[in-house]
Amino acid sequence: MWPDRRIIDLFKIEFPILLAPMAGAIDAEIAIAVAEGGGMPSVPCALISPEKAREQVKIIRQRVSAPINLNFFCHKAVDADPAREAVWRQRLAPYYRELGLDPAAPINTANRAPFDAAFCEVVEELKPEVVSFHFGLPEAGLLQRVKATGALVMSSATIVREAIWLEENGADVIIAQGAEAGGHRGMFLTDNIAEQPGTFALVPQVVDAVKVPVIAAGGIADGRGIAAAFALGAAGVQIGSAYLRCPESRVIAPARVALGQAMDDSTVITNVMTGRPARGVVNRVMHEVGPIAPEAPAFPHSATSLGPLKQAAEKLGKTDFTSLWAGQAVRLGREMPAAELTRALAGAALVRMSKLAG
Amino acid sequence: MAINTTLTARLGSRHPILSAPMAGIAGARLVAAVSEAGGFGILGGGYGERAWLEQETAKLKTCTAPFGIGFITWSLAKQPDLLHMALAAKPRAIMLSFGDPKPFAPAIKAAGALLICQVQSEDMAREALGAGADILIAQGTEAGGHGAARTTLDIVPAIVDLAAGRVPVAAAGGIADGRGLAAMMMLGAAGVLLGTRFYASVECDGSEEAKKRICAASSGSTVRGVVFDWSRGIFWPAPFTLRSLVNDHSRRWSGREVELMHNIATVTADYVAAREAGNFDIAGVFAGEAVGLIHDIPKAGEIVERITLEAEQILSGRRNSATMSQAVAAR
Repeated sequence: MWPDRRIIDLFKIEFPILLAPMAGAIDAEIAIAVAEGGGMPSVPCALISPEKAREQVKIIRQRVSAPINLNFFCHKAVDADPAREAVWRQRLAPYYRELGLDPAAPINTANRAPFDAAFCEVVEELKPEVVSFHFGLPEAGLLQRVKATGALVMSSATIVREAIWLEENGADVIIAQGAEAGGHRGMFLTDNIAEQPGTFALVPQVVDAVKVPVIAAGGIADGRGIAAAFALGAAGVQIGSAYLRCPESRVIAPARVALGQAMDDSTVITNVMTGRPARGVVNRVMHEVGPIAPEAPAFPHSATSLGPLKQAAEKLGKTDFTSLWAGQAVRLGREMPAAELTRALAGAALVRMSKLAG
Repeated sequence: MAINTTLTARLGSRHPILSAPMAGIAGARLVAAVSEAGGFGILGGGYGERAWLEQETAKLKTCTAPFGIGFITWSLAKQPDLLHMALAAKPRAIMLSFGDPKPFAPAIKAAGALLICQVQSEDMAREALGAGADILIAQGTEAGGHGAARTTLDIVPAIVDLAAGRVPVAAAGGIADGRGLAAMMMLGAAGVLLGTRFYASVECDGSEEAKKRICAASSGSTVRGVVFDWSRGIFWPAPFTLRSLVNDHSRRWSGREVELMHNIATVTADYVAAREAGNFDIAGVFAGEAVGLIHDIPKAGEIVERITLEAEQILSGRRNSATMSQAVAAR
């Protein structure tokens, strides 16, 4: 039995396991599978258009009756700085030449649009049960419109101060994102990666600081991790890396190989890929240019100049310039259908908890 | 009420709660208080200050409960005879951290003491088991003081799997209450080792000002690095670094370590003076990421009792979301 049923009851799901909204790595197919397994599906919208988001939700609703978590980035958009772009392009020029590309050719800018009026209309139209944000919360007017649809609002905190801020500003559920987590650090009130605690130090401190339910994220990828998160006072867990190698994910074949070979110490926090700190398996450009490059343009503009390199290298079956976002538990990921994995995770956690109760 | 594990069976303690051998501040008073409350206190032999060790082990002669003595392995290697002084105090266990335990294992075993080895990676765990370790401590980067890079959530199950039931594994790093003990048992650990929580206890020999700073600190106010070690002229072997509370000194030098090195003579002089004066804007308070869970300075025995009670409730399933909401409301 789950010692804390708040998330189960609030989201109306069978198991308190949330599929992490891993933009670029997942789509409706794995969301459906996780829902079928009794977990909470998510639709990451950071890299897709409002039209595509509509389509994804439609597909999920046609196939399964389950709550949906629509996830958005809500960073403050900054214009690209031509001078920094030029320095960055120059830094990457040898790679362009190596791949037979023209370093001076114009490129479409990276499209990581923050949550805006157009996306808000999508939320109002589709009425997802949960709307989650990364990098804080959107401005009050937009947030109010989201809340008016009846959606529960969720966002991530990397330190206690952010959790308190989120609760005060309207979050119904808070994700405590520990340092182990893969992908972008959800931080928005701090920029110091070195001072962000690990999941197990962070979760009980956030639980003590807020009244809303807390979901643990970062480094959790098996039943004992889930059981431990609940012992610390979490009411749910968000899991990403463990799902990356499921057959339903959209991870490309060479990236699957890289993830499969990753060990516990294969991931680092880098700003090279997008300009914001994020944890992933080390690829060539992270290794040679970073992992932290002071000259990387601000989020998301670092990704712009990497775009052509990523495309060209992937055609050759290489992940030299592909983001391999994953957390420290990446080695615990399994090649198993996502529905089965969800049930296996929940089952193992429940067995663990009942064993120690005996 | 007691939580019995393979660790308590081996140590002869009532509870699977160990106090860390914090160099110089985990003295006989703290060790006796923890052990007499049913935990397992470990004396902070640290770098091996002979006079201090002599004085504190003498005090432990009256301690009737089982206790341990800890050393920094690479530093003990410089004056190995200190181990004999420690063993003469008849500890139940010697705890070795940070370095190859092998040269010391025969003497420890011959004296009938247990060998506890703290490890931060699978390779170190293999080395410790090879040397005949009776207990492993899997330490995550959340820990205060010296440690390495991997987190508790990552390293604990990894070492539990590697030990495969041959020896009990205790978890260290980021733990300060019963929730932490319960969580670590869920991960497969047989107990926990706590430093920072016992730092903020009546019997710890740390300064009152340092204890107050621990109570006031919240999550995100610690940092791991080399600044404090270099500032006091101590150079640790890789991969070990030190976690401490963030203060003016760490803010000034973190990220500027090379520059610190160029000014080492003045920095060290200033640092030592500040430490003597109890100026913790410069001197470091070595504490872990669990600082945000610590708000008071109780007796060490009360800490042991609180942790046991809370963990027991969680593990037995008697504490659920309803009672947790009440607990939140009561805070």
